[in-house]
Amino acid sequence: MAAFEATPAETAGGHRATAQAGEPAIVLRGATKTYGEGDVAVRALRGVDLEIWPEEFVVLLGPSGSGKTTLLNLIGGIEPASAGEIVVAGNDVTELDEEGRTAFRRDTVGFIFQFFNLVPTLTALENVELVAELGRGADRSAEMLERVGLGDRMDHFPAQLSGGEQQRVAVARALAGGPRVLLGDEPTGALDLETGRTVLALLHELSHELDQTVLLVTHNASIARMADRVLRMRDGEIVADERNEVPAPAEQLEW
Amino acid sequence: MRVLRTKARRDMRRQRASFLAITVTIFLGVTLFGATYDAFRNLDDSYKRAFTQYRFANLTVTGGDVARFAAAARAQPGVEAVQTRTQTDVPIQVGADKFLGRVVGMPPGHQPAVNRLAIESGTYLQPARPDDVLVDRNMAKAFDLETGDRVAVTGAAGAQRVTLLGVASSPEYYWPARSRQEAFTAPKDFGVLYVPQPLAERLAGDARPNQVAIYYANGKENAGLTKRLSAAAERSGATDVFTRADQPSNSSLQQDVKSFEQLAILFPLLFLTAAALATGVLMRRLVTSQRPIVGMLRACGYSRGQIVRHFLSFGLLSGAAGGILGVALGLWLASVMTSAYTDQLSIPLSVIEIRPSTILVGIAFGLGTGALASAAPAAFAAGVPPAEAMRRFSPAKAGKISLAERLFPPLRRLPVRWRMAIRSIGRNPRRATSTVLGVVLALILILSSWGMIDAAQILIDRQYGQIERQDAQLYVRAPLGSAELARIRGVPGVRRAEPAAELPVSLRANGHRYQTALIALRRNTQMHGFYESGGGQIELPVAGLIVGQAVQGRLDLRAGQSVRIGAPGTGVEVSAPLDAVVNEPLGAFAYASLDAVRALAGPRLGEGNSVFVTYAPGVDRDRMRRALSAVPGVTAFVDSKALQEYMNSYLGLYYLFIGIMVLFGGAMAFALLYNSIQANLAERSVEVATLRAAGTPFATLARMITVENTIVAMLGIVPGLFLGYETAKLFLEQFQTDWFSFELEMRTSTFVLASLAILAVALLSELPGLRAVRRLDIAEVVRERAA
Repeated sequence: MAAFEATPAETAGGHRATAQAGEPAIVLRGATKTYGEGDVAVRALRGVDLEIWPEEFVVLLGPSGSGKTTLLNLIGGIEPASAGEIVVAGNDVTELDEEGRTAFRRDTVGFIFQFFNLVPTLTALENVELVAELGRGADRSAEMLERVGLGDRMDHFPAQLSGGEQQRVAVARALAGGPRVLLGDEPTGALDLETGRTVLALLHELSHELDQTVLLVTHNASIARMADRVLRMRDGEIVADERNEVPAPAEQLEW
Repeated sequence: MRVLRTKARRDMRRQRASFLAITVTIFLGVTLFGATYDAFRNLDDSYKRAFTQYRFANLTVTGGDVARFAAAARAQPGVEAVQTRTQTDVPIQVGADKFLGRVVGMPPGHQPAVNRLAIESGTYLQPARPDDVLVDRNMAKAFDLETGDRVAVTGAAGAQRVTLLGVASSPEYYWPARSRQEAFTAPKDFGVLYVPQPLAERLAGDARPNQVAIYYANGKENAGLTKRLSAAAERSGATDVFTRADQPSNSSLQQDVKSFEQLAILFPLLFLTAAALATGVLMRRLVTSQRPIVGMLRACGYSRGQIVRHFLSFGLLSGAAGGILGVALGLWLASVMTSAYTDQLSIPLSVIEIRPSTILVGIAFGLGTGALASAAPAAFAAGVPPAEAMRRFSPAKAGKISLAERLFPPLRRLPVRWRMAIRSIGRNPRRATSTVLGVVLALILILSSWGMIDAAQILIDRQYGQIERQDAQLYVRAPLGSAELARIRGVPGVRRAEPAAELPVSLRANGHRYQTALIALRRNTQMHGFYESGGGQIELPVAGLIVGQAVQGRLDLRAGQSVRIGAPGTGVEVSAPLDAVVNEPLGAFAYASLDAVRALAGPRLGEGNSVFVTYAPGVDRDRMRRALSAVPGVTAFVDSKALQEYMNSYLGLYYLFIGIMVLFGGAMAFALLYNSIQANLAERSVEVATLRAAGTPFATLARMITVENTIVAMLGIVPGLFLGYETAKLFLEQFQTDWFSFELEMRTSTFVLASLAILAVALLSELPGLRAVRRLDIAEVVRERAA
């Protein structure tokens, strides 16, 4: 594993700077999540400590049930933590109530889901506008779709798009609100290799252009090669935190 | 949230058949509300306005010292006008037709102070033409009479011919009711002539008026005044006192108004409840199928409130569409119904108004139904955690052995596919319950209308088949002589003729008084059947009285109790014990044997004034009418079967009403069953596709779906029949009057047909679902799930 080092550094490819000198984009201290109570309590996260720096492209690996989606949900304010502290882009998520977390997700985070979760009755453009409408800034939905290469398919409904195209719409939707942090849950899980690589390349390129911090959760270890940093989870704990000195372009990934 | 609105619009378009079903159900409910409520309001207002304009009496007092009572009434504060007059029932002959009609005295030259006439044609009574009269519009219509025609009236001084000056209508006879006991008469069996008061006095054989009509200040009801005047009437020896509400015509018409009022509550309630259930089923399915999208929306920052509003908008849109269209059609129907009704009754003032309150309430009903029905699913959607966005499908609920299998273990030995059909019912208990409730509501709607007509038909069959067995009743000049009876018996076609007496009487007991007719027949009469509540037949007693249940109720009587019987205008008052109470659905009369009447009132009345006749089979009824009317001494003729036929033809109008209700009930059941089946199939598309992929023939799947659907329908049919019957019973109880006293009875065939109708709807409602199953792209569904 010569390509990985234990400390953050400038990437050799130069396409991702990790401004470690500033404040971390994501900070977790003792983040814990327990489902259920008593005998049936399941500790999905066991006091995770983590810092992710602005503009880092991080891949979180782990087998099913290791707690990676739970970690993503806590960072994204989808679920409240049972204990610990989580600060994302300066927002202490653990201090937020339901309403506060909703606003936090709206203003700070963009999500990409494994199954795209496009609204079948809305066109590609409308699916992106659906999230853009929530934001306070200018509507960049059409621009985002252009950026993901779907400028000519804006008026198509999801059923008229391929899986890769649907996920590209989902990427555009995640970016449309101008989030500081982009969270992806198995974004290529439902895609074939070629399409998956295309989507990852696009995600990498756009997040870089838009100065966004990216955290992708996957069980696909091959994707780790394109990350600035790779986290590994097992049994609710981060068991490895490695820096990738020379991230590979998405096009070169194989799985 | 423009895009969310777009989503809502397109989601609705995508499931347009389901939303259309809901919208139509709401539409029907609001239409019925608008139509029946405004028809009720229009009719009520039409009557009120007509009653005010034509100064319809608030209180009518008959008999006693009329002059003294009238003077006392005029002195009462709150009394605006008092009119004395003579009213008497007399034989009237129009061409060859003879019937017992009525003459009402009017001041010639000017309208009376109370109970004014609307002149439809011709002119009002003129002093210069003392023997010219006005004919009531119902009589004019029945006999096709016009101004200038002549009719014969037989009064105390014999028969005389009078000329018609015109056709008029009076608020007292908008509905041509002879009395409260005889609210329904065949068109040619009753008619009213408005005659100059002096002529009325001559016909009655009494120079003094026998009736006082009182109009209160502005026509407004005044309970205190009524009480005081009733007490004064009692003191003056009055034989009958009735308020405006009890006036025979008005009380009949108010039954219609009341039925509109009740329909305006019950029917919309049924439809809107059904619509709410259907909306609930559809919305919950929609929300369930969209859990990942809802999760995504929540994950992307949509608040709970926005999610609630989004899903509420489905119900609100359906409700608004159904409400607005329903109000529009309802108001139109109300105006059509009001016009048709007031034209039919010739109510001179037909009030047809568009009431903002009806519009607002109608739309509010639509919106409220939509909002209430989608509130729970919307709240459920808002509770969907954002983490649901990470899932593709909702987790399956735990399966379990069905209740039916647990209660009846042999069911567990059925082939798996049938067990699956049985278990599917309990898979979504909320949806199954909604569907069962929909079937129950539909049956309530169907049976509450069908039950009424059933009851009416059974009632008519019983009244004219078992109780009133005569074909005709002839009135003759009293006392009936044996020669007249012989002449009647001698008319070809007459099978049997029996003497009878019909006397107006005032019955008193337990502090109550009731004005009715005493019908005296031979003890062993073949003309009338007397049945007690248990169904047993009894004979007329030697001495005492028999009364119908309605009279018993009015006088609070018990068998064996003594009843005071007064003959108005004669001063005769005797006592007789109550021998038995009979179950008679129509009319509220007292019965006694001719012997008993003779013993009580003397031989003159005991000889009888009437003859009951039965015909030989197959005779021509019109010929018999002419032949019997022509018998010397016969002053009036009542064709008893004509009344039965008239009532049956009147009921015929209601077949359309029942047809519409069955259709509406079917539509209501369809909306719910259709939505439930669609939701069930959508939820199980993968299972169905898997079964198809595994080689299950479409016919087997269709049978499984049919079995499930039929079981659900049957689960609704059983309580639906019971509750439908109970609702019809409740409905019928509201219409018990002096004339009509009947407990609900329904034909078994009605229950069977209503159940079959619901089952047919259930089968029909699954056809679109079965078509979708047939067209299912097995590969696509299975692949999607695999992905």
